Amino acid sequence: MNCADEMTPKERMLSILHGKHVDRLLVSPLILNFASRSLNLTVRSFCTNGKNMGDANIACFKKYRHDIVYIFSTTSTLAEAMGTRMYFPEDDAPQVEDPFIRTREDLKKLKPVDPEKDGRLPVYLEAVKRCVDAIGNEVFIVPVIGAPFTTSAALRGTETFIKELYTDPELVHTVMKVATQSVKNLIGAYVKAGSVPVTVEPVATGSMISEKHFREFVLPYLKEVYAHIHSFSLPGVLHICGKTKRVIQCMAESGADILSIDNIDLLEAKAMVGDKVCLMGNVSPADGMLKGNPDVITNMVKDCVIKASDSPKGFVLATGCEVPIKTPHENMIAFLEAGRRFARLPINLN
Amino acid sequence: MHMEKSDILHNLAQAVIDMDMARARKAAAEAISCKIDPYEAITDGLARGMDKVNELFESEEYFVPEILLCADAMYAGIEVLRPHLPKETAWSKKKIVIGVVKGDTHDIGKNLVKIMLDNAGFEMHDLGRNVPYAKFVDTAGELNADLVCLSTLMTTTMDGMHVVIEDIKKAGIPCMTMVGGGPISPGFAKNIGADGYAKNAAEAVRVAKGMFQGIQIPRTIKTPEFVIARKNRGGIR
Repeated sequence: MNCADEMTPKERMLSILHGKHVDRLLVSPLILNFASRSLNLTVRSFCTNGKNMGDANIACFKKYRHDIVYIFSTTSTLAEAMGTRMYFPEDDAPQVEDPFIRTREDLKKLKPVDPEKDGRLPVYLEAVKRCVDAIGNEVFIVPVIGAPFTTSAALRGTETFIKELYTDPELVHTVMKVATQSVKNLIGAYVKAGSVPVTVEPVATGSMISEKHFREFVLPYLKEVYAHIHSFSLPGVLHICGKTKRVIQCMAESGADILSIDNIDLLEAKAMVGDKVCLMGNVSPADGMLKGNPDVITNMVKDCVIKASDSPKGFVLATGCEVPIKTPHENMIAFLEAGRRFARLPINLN
Repeated sequence: MHMEKSDILHNLAQAVIDMDMARARKAAAEAISCKIDPYEAITDGLARGMDKVNELFESEEYFVPEILLCADAMYAGIEVLRPHLPKETAWSKKKIVIGVVKGDTHDIGKNLVKIMLDNAGFEMHDLGRNVPYAKFVDTAGELNADLVCLSTLMTTTMDGMHVVIEDIKKAGIPCMTMVGGGPISPGFAKNIGADGYAKNAAEAVRVAKGMFQGIQIPRTIKTPEFVIARKNRGGIR
């Protein structure tokens, strides 16, 4: 199935970043907790043990040879490391159980993370190091960090937090500042471990908050995050899932170089921000990867390539959001094969 | 000192639209002191405001924080009026059981739908989040519910909706079902045998009203005036 590939994922990525010739576009399904399937692990044993998390991702890469290896379990991992209590289902991603900030008093206890010690960050770091050692010569290892707004929402409880955009903006900014520092600390640790961190900000999606609030409470902190990432000479990647049309302009102003988008037409996205940023997306995780079949997925991949492969700042073929854990193996194969076929350069869809 | 009834009703509506709990409480107290029918204060004051909020949500001027704060204002006003209302048993409301299916704790979407359906005149029974499948079936049976609404944000839990709908059918409970949430598409809803699908809270109201053709008629108080008032705000077709 890899007969079409002439370069390793890492060579391909480096060539793209340096503007050199490549065999095809990047094909990067958002394989996150799905990686646990490659070693038949439950999600809980995958995401609470660095060896498991690393080895499952290594096995997964050897199986699929996808272009980017992500390290991730939930967008709330950073909030967890700062004090939010999580609930760990046996075989699903962890979810917030008890937010850390109950009262204004709790703000005094809030401090930026130490990635070597706090929460499950050492688990992630171990997973990153194992992957970098085993497959880092062939592919970039990309840990995923909950960006400041998403982390803050998990620290305070999302419903309370978004109401406080009106009722207590001072508290919002106070939490956002500490969360931003945590994000920066973690970026530093991941870079040191030889990986390329990316950030996700799903709580700031267009179906949740207005553009006005995005500009006031989200954008300044994202700018700080991408400036930090750029200080390591690395590209900034921003993923926001759900409906992003309303906030995509802001996303493009954040300093991120690649926007990973979900529920938006790629033609529209290309017209709106394609001249500013590289686009990444957006095969449907539910209707495509989980519930679709190889034919459905092949058509979805083809559709993405038709719409966005000529985007001025480039295009990465991906899923709109996380590949569902129960995605059938043959559907993943269909995505990758269609990607290798249709995203081969120069684009020829026949 | 004595305020016009229309001013008070307007103030109630505006307090909801402006997300102002204090003003909603104040206007509700004024409604009581001016002897306005508390039910009318709700339907033609607070709920009328919430209808406007629903419109603002659909036209993408209001988002989730705004709806949550408007709902807080509406409920603050209702709390003041509630002791003055006639017994709830006087009303024949359609009963809706709502919850987030097992395995998922994301409940903001469900809460928005609950707020909007409550405002549209349905009797809401909220089972919360991470709700075991059997709990939906049991509650629907016990309450003789008219509609069961299932929500999830995650792809891992969407199949649970199918289980609940199948079990409701197996148990022979004569209620409708509606599904929604991030990964849910109309196609998926159809495949699992749901009677309705809504992409957001505003649509959920339309779908639910469509299911029952807006039959939210009070059993006891059927003055022509009241019926007209309800008609004007779309409560009765």
